[in-house]
Amino acid sequence: MPRFPGILAHHSEPIDPTLWEWLSVKIDHVLGLSPGVLVLLLGAVIVSFPVVVMVLVWRRRGGAN
Amino acid sequence: MCCATKCECTPGAKRVTTVPNPKKQGVYYGWYVVAALFFASFLAIGSRQGFGVFVKTWEEDWGVSTAAISVAAAIGWLMNGFSQPLVGFLTDKYGGRPVLVISLAVMAVATIAVALISNVFGLIVLYGFVISFASGGISPATTGVVIAQWFDRRRGTAMSILIAGGSAGGLIVVPFLSYVLIEYGWRVAWIITGSLALGLGIPLLLLVVRSRPSDMGLFVDGEEPSINEAGEAEVIVRPVGPDFVDKWKEALGTKPLWQLSFGYFVCGITTASISVHFVRWAISEDITTGTAALAFGLLSGINAAGVLVVGMLSDRLQRKNLLGAVYLVRALAFVSLIVVPGDKAIWAFAVIGGMSWLATVPLTASLTADVYGVRNLGTLFGFANMAHQIGGAGAVLLFGWAFTRLGSYDIAFAIGAATLLAAGIVSLSIREKKHSVRYVQLAPEGGAVDDASSSAKSSG
Repeated sequence: MPRFPGILAHHSEPIDPTLWEWLSVKIDHVLGLSPGVLVLLLGAVIVSFPVVVMVLVWRRRGGAN
Repeated sequence: MCCATKCECTPGAKRVTTVPNPKKQGVYYGWYVVAALFFASFLAIGSRQGFGVFVKTWEEDWGVSTAAISVAAAIGWLMNGFSQPLVGFLTDKYGGRPVLVISLAVMAVATIAVALISNVFGLIVLYGFVISFASGGISPATTGVVIAQWFDRRRGTAMSILIAGGSAGGLIVVPFLSYVLIEYGWRVAWIITGSLALGLGIPLLLLVVRSRPSDMGLFVDGEEPSINEAGEAEVIVRPVGPDFVDKWKEALGTKPLWQLSFGYFVCGITTASISVHFVRWAISEDITTGTAALAFGLLSGINAAGVLVVGMLSDRLQRKNLLGAVYLVRALAFVSLIVVPGDKAIWAFAVIGGMSWLATVPLTASLTADVYGVRNLGTLFGFANMAHQIGGAGAVLLFGWAFTRLGSYDIAFAIGAATLLAAGIVSLSIREKKHSVRYVQLAPEGGAVDDASSSAKSSG
């Protein structure tokens, strides 16, 4: 079966689908949260980081002017 | 080579001129640049790794085989590698900011367009060619150059944080996409990914990132010029290294470039082979899926911590010693796959290999900048990245052939360990104290500041 470059590489190659299947089973087992909740939690993490950085830079520039 | 004369004075020698005295503003702005590039890498690498999550859905939706979808992934791998010398060259020529913004914009639009396709041909065109090529513009060949422009003394630390961003992207964006796929379908997942890049990534880059500190009237490492009695600010003239080059081709005749590239080629061999054959190896060893997943999680955690620790250490120690040690530790990890029995092998590999997995990237990029300056860093590191990808592609085929032929990975892992041993020895043999600007400093001729290698540059 053809295999995919995986998450262990340096250059952003796709994760191996089989490895991801193993990982998702383990994550579901450990966290036990519904996909909808996980979308919200992970989405909040993804969105909040750049927003915080932009606010900090804005404030810094505001303070400099 | 850059014109330079031996500097009798100490590094950071000062000459007097009148320049505006920048206001002291707390945290050095370069760290905000690191944060913005961290997010760009996080998004770009995370979303590309997320491709694997959709494979089974596409197989069902389009009625195609894994092999057909693999074509898009394989083309993408090569395109990503081949794009890096080009985007690196463009970064050297035009600065990192425009290359980063345009690359992320192209990647974002093409990512959204994936939601519109209905066959594997569209995937090959959009993912294999367009997205993969554009993502080369959000790689260390571009982001690393920007970091090298902003940081000198803490270059290794800043680089390692940047690289950890890609690792974090794999850990957060991949599960995110997987759960969006379950809840809303694959088309929505690709639209959300592209929208995140367009709506957050690009504004962040535009607002925060500047190609070099002088674009903001700042100085490398946040240095401040002191004011003398006449009220004049003293500009710090940064030294250049003995091997700093004006044109990238000049570096081809020097030894460190080949030593670093050889190591990075081996790095590609060993990371790509494991990443592609990890699952098949685990199955062949009767390792349970739960154990493999946990070991993988452990490896990822140690990986992120390892790159940060090594990056920080590299600002205090000779980078080539750390680079050599990283290759030798990874060789040990490969040996453990052969000699340690059963389940214990995967844990040994996770712990030993995790420490070395990503650490080569900031060390190689920083050392390249230290030896050759940053003027051509994008092109030079882009070539190293291409060597990494070519080595990886060859090793994937070789490991697959060896397993098919011999029914075991032992010989392939032994070859991996041997190449790593060679990479470790070659890296340790780099004469950093002879070639690196951290140890040998020359003054730019005529006292002129070399704008690319440099650090502190007058904005006035």
